[in-house]
Amino acid sequence: MGEKKKIVAFCCENSSYKAAEAVTESSALDLVDIVRLPCSGKMEIGMVLKCLEKDHPGVLILSCPVDNCKYIKGNLRAKKRVEMAKKALRNAGLDENRVHMDFISSIDTYKFADLVKEMNDRLENTHPVNR
Amino acid sequence: MITAVQKPYEEISEMVKGFKNLLILGCGSCVTVCMTGGEKEVEILASTLRLANKKNGVSMDIVEDTIERQCDREFFDDVKEKIDRADAVLSMACGVGVQFCSEVFEGKRILPALNTKFYGATEQQGTWSERCAGCGDCVLDKFGGVCPIARCSKSLLNGPCGGSQDGKCEVDTENIDCGWQLIYDRLKSLDLLSRLEENEPIKDWSTGRDGGPGKIVREDMVL
Repeated sequence: MGEKKKIVAFCCENSSYKAAEAVTESSALDLVDIVRLPCSGKMEIGMVLKCLEKDHPGVLILSCPVDNCKYIKGNLRAKKRVEMAKKALRNAGLDENRVHMDFISSIDTYKFADLVKEMNDRLENTHPVNR
Repeated sequence: MITAVQKPYEEISEMVKGFKNLLILGCGSCVTVCMTGGEKEVEILASTLRLANKKNGVSMDIVEDTIERQCDREFFDDVKEKIDRADAVLSMACGVGVQFCSEVFEGKRILPALNTKFYGATEQQGTWSERCAGCGDCVLDKFGGVCPIARCSKSLLNGPCGGSQDGKCEVDTENIDCGWQLIYDRLKSLDLLSRLEENEPIKDWSTGRDGGPGKIVREDMVL
């Protein structure tokens, strides 16, 4: 049996990545693999689906707050792509809540930890793809 | 470019049922530009099918690739081995590419992932609209660069019908501009309104689709 797969969090380096860096409680950090993006608008639908194909239980996309994107509309582009990723999951017969997007700022350290733990708790009972 | 949209997932899923080795083959030209059949879309469709198959306990090996375009024989060379290994190829090209792939690889099952729509242009990212009907006898010089065949719902050649209102077409008053309003506005901006006083004679439709499947042979270019 391989190592247990973690939730993958795609984090914008201007906001959520900074929040994640400031998290100290290991109970949240142990649950997540963090991927740093120059902007959440860089995330691609294929990246999200690939994570789930590789048996990661869930994917978080954490953007800058609305109207606060350094690149103006990156977070809005990401939002549309997340909707398409959810649609792909529905097509595949999977729970679309395995992908979740939220908007947090660089000081929302507790919110980052809470989002990770909430997703973990929500997905605990979801059968992983490889069962 | 040729525009297309992806078939509903349910239709694609049903089409590929039963195959053990599937190649999803994208096209790097028109369908990449209209964001429906390029490398990214191949990746997304392949992942979706794999996730569905895992959930349903279906054994299917799905391979992905994308070539420059599927309407020229030479580009298939790079994927010949992958095609040979596959039981079926799910082509994400337009109808031309699907058929040509089928001709080049006789005996191989080639399936269409897209519904081909029209010859069109990119109005803005995410929006494409029809511009040409491929009638085979271009009259754009007479109408200020706006085609009455493609842009008028009825392909009228001598002015609008009675259904033209506020610049919109009666076929769809919300979404379709009256082609003849567009022609009028364009000719006016070019100071060529007098052109509209000339009568356009009955069109010979045989130069286009109505003359049957077309073929062009350039003797000077044939090797």
